[in-house]
Parts: sequence; C-alpha cells; structure tokens
Amino acid sequence: MKTVSLLLCAALLAGCAIGQATPGTQVAAERLAASIVPGRTTKADLLATFGKTRSVVFDSGYESWLYQSPAGGGRFSEFVVLIDPAGVVARTRQRAPALP
Amino acid sequence: MRPLLPALLLLVAAAAANAAGGGQQPVAKVNVSTTRDPVDKSYRKMIQGMERFEREHALAPSAPLRFQLLPRMPGLKMDGISLRVAGDTVSVPVTIAPDNSFVLPRNEQALREDAAVLANRKTTSMTWRALIRSPGLAPDTRRLGDLRLECRVGAEAGLVSNNSQLFAWLSNALMSVDQVCNSPEGNYLFFADRPLFGVRLRAGARVEDLPFKMLYAGGEQTPEMLRFCDCQVLLDRTYYAPLWDKSWPDDTIVEFDYMTDAAPAADAQEAR
Repeated sequence: MKTVSLLLCAALLAGCAIGQATPGTQVAAERLAASIVPGRTTKADLLATFGKTRSVVFDSGYESWLYQSPAGGGRFSEFVVLIDPAGVVARTRQRAPALP
Repeated sequence: MRPLLPALLLLVAAAAANAAGGGQQPVAKVNVSTTRDPVDKSYRKMIQGMERFEREHALAPSAPLRFQLLPRMPGLKMDGISLRVAGDTVSVPVTIAPDNSFVLPRNEQALREDAAVLANRKTTSMTWRALIRSPGLAPDTRRLGDLRLECRVGAEAGLVSNNSQLFAWLSNALMSVDQVCNSPEGNYLFFADRPLFGVRLRAGARVEDLPFKMLYAGGEQTPEMLRFCDCQVLLDRTYYAPLWDKSWPDDTIVEFDYMTDAAPAADAQEAR
C-alpha cells in the first residue's frame, strides 16, 4: 500500500510540478518611483538600471515585471511594471508592504 | 474509466480460457457500463456540482448557477460551439449562450447511463468553470462569496484539469473540495474577463491588493509547465482569490484593474 501511495504521489507530482519562485530584484521604492516613467522608460532601460527580475511574458506581447522594496521588519512592498509589446513601460503600480 | 478496461478485458479473457480448458466453472460475466473517455466531463460529477451549489447556496444567495467553456489551446475558435449530454441511449442538447455559458439540464436516464457532457470540440482544447455571479455588482468586480461557491461547485464537478490528462482522473479522485477550496495551497484558478494588471479586495474600510504571486497562475509557469495548466492561453487573465481566508467576508468585493482600457466594441457590448 505504501508503494502504491508513493507511486500515486509521484504521478501527481509529475503532472503538477511547480518551480521555485524567484523573488523580484530588491530596489529601494523611492529609486523605482523616480526612475520608471510610463510611456518613456523602456525594457532596455530597466535591464540596464536594475538588472533582470521576476517577470511573466504573455502571448499578447505584454510583460509584467516585479521588483521588491525592503520596508523593514522583514516586509517588502511590491513594484509591478507593465511593459507593452513595443518594449515601453505602459503602467506601474505599488503594493503596500507585507511579509513575503 | 478507460484505465479499468484492460483489467476488465483480462478478467474476461481469463474466464474464457478457463472455460475453453474444460473447466466446469461458470464463465464470469463482466458488464462494462460505459466507455466514456476519462477526459470527458462526467454528467454525474457535474450534477453533483449542481447539488453542492444547492446545499451551499448561502455563499451566494441571490446568484444563479451556470457553467462556462473557456479556451485552453492556442488558436481555438470559441464560436459556434454545440454541447450535448451523451449516454448509451440518450442524447440531450444543451443550449449555449454567446459567452459560452450554459445551464446543465437534469435527465435521469443520462444519470443512469453515466453520460458524458460533450462539445463539438476536442475535450482537451477547452477548460470548464462554474459561473456564479450575484446580480447588481459594479462592472469589473466580483464578489468573494460567489468565487468561493464557484470553487466548491467546480471542484465537486471535476471541471479543472490542471494536470496531464493521464493523471487528471487520479488527481480529481484524491483532492477533496476542502483541499482545493479551503487551503492556501488549493490553487483553484479564476479567470477575469480581460488581461489583468492588478486585483484589489475591498471589504468596508479594509482594502488590499493581491500580491503578484496570486496573479498569472503564480507567475512562475515555464513554457513546459504551462501546457499542463488550463490557463495555457488565458494566463494574463488568471488570479487566485483568498477563498480560505475567513477574515475576508463573503461580501468582499474583488476589483479588477485591467492591463488596458476596454476596446470600443467591448464597451458597446457591455452597455447592451
């Protein structure tokens, strides 16, 4: 029975394995807010200034990039950047500090 | 289920060999009640989902239950879909609305025959969800109690198939509704109407944005993993809701901030 259970677990894991999430690159919130301008800042600018970070690329050509900003007490705020298919920042948003 | 068929055939073959060998034992008779493909949607399971909806309707007291078909494979045309409940001797057509939602009719004969719910598309090309929307909500919002009930109905009805099809039936058999809908690890994905940039929860004075890890199926799907997710072509519309977190009441409003403004045609459609 134990063997069967192990096999079942292995089978399930094969179907739904989830990779280790890479946290966003850590950058001070003030620096992000001052450096990233929707409609002007490009993907190349972000890479040159802050380096690679956690991102999701969609079939539409849009990309969503995540930066984290230390906020004390082990908490981080999130700074999310939406990049349009032309490679230009379309929008940004910030999420209030929370534990990761 | 298909995986049981080889075993049943072996049983029949063994019984036949025994009879051919001159044994006096009566031949075992095996009735295979259905040949429904395991990746087809089970009518019985979907009816069980409807029964759970009735039992737990208090989560969304003024909302009706519909089901909805969504694209799973790239390039799939989602217009002109037809749907039917198909048993051994019964076939019941199901009316599909323009948004590919439908109400599943009850049919006792189809229940007895362990019918399948079949579309005129390859089963694995689409994904299915329960659709429970309380009336009177503002545009671009949902209600958390509706989502909680969608999860419970969807999980009970066996609608989600995030694993490889080979193991989907096993996963459905081992995962309880509570494991899916009452746990932070439950991973029941919801789909917004359009690509999302952010999702905000609002309950009275309490307002919080969902973290990045609750958007885009967790934001960690590689192309290899994505093909096992029923979010394959709708990744930018996916989000998790804190179904398990009772500190958010059922009347919590879930607000969507879309990546872009609605196209004019969509605006006109919504206004109708």
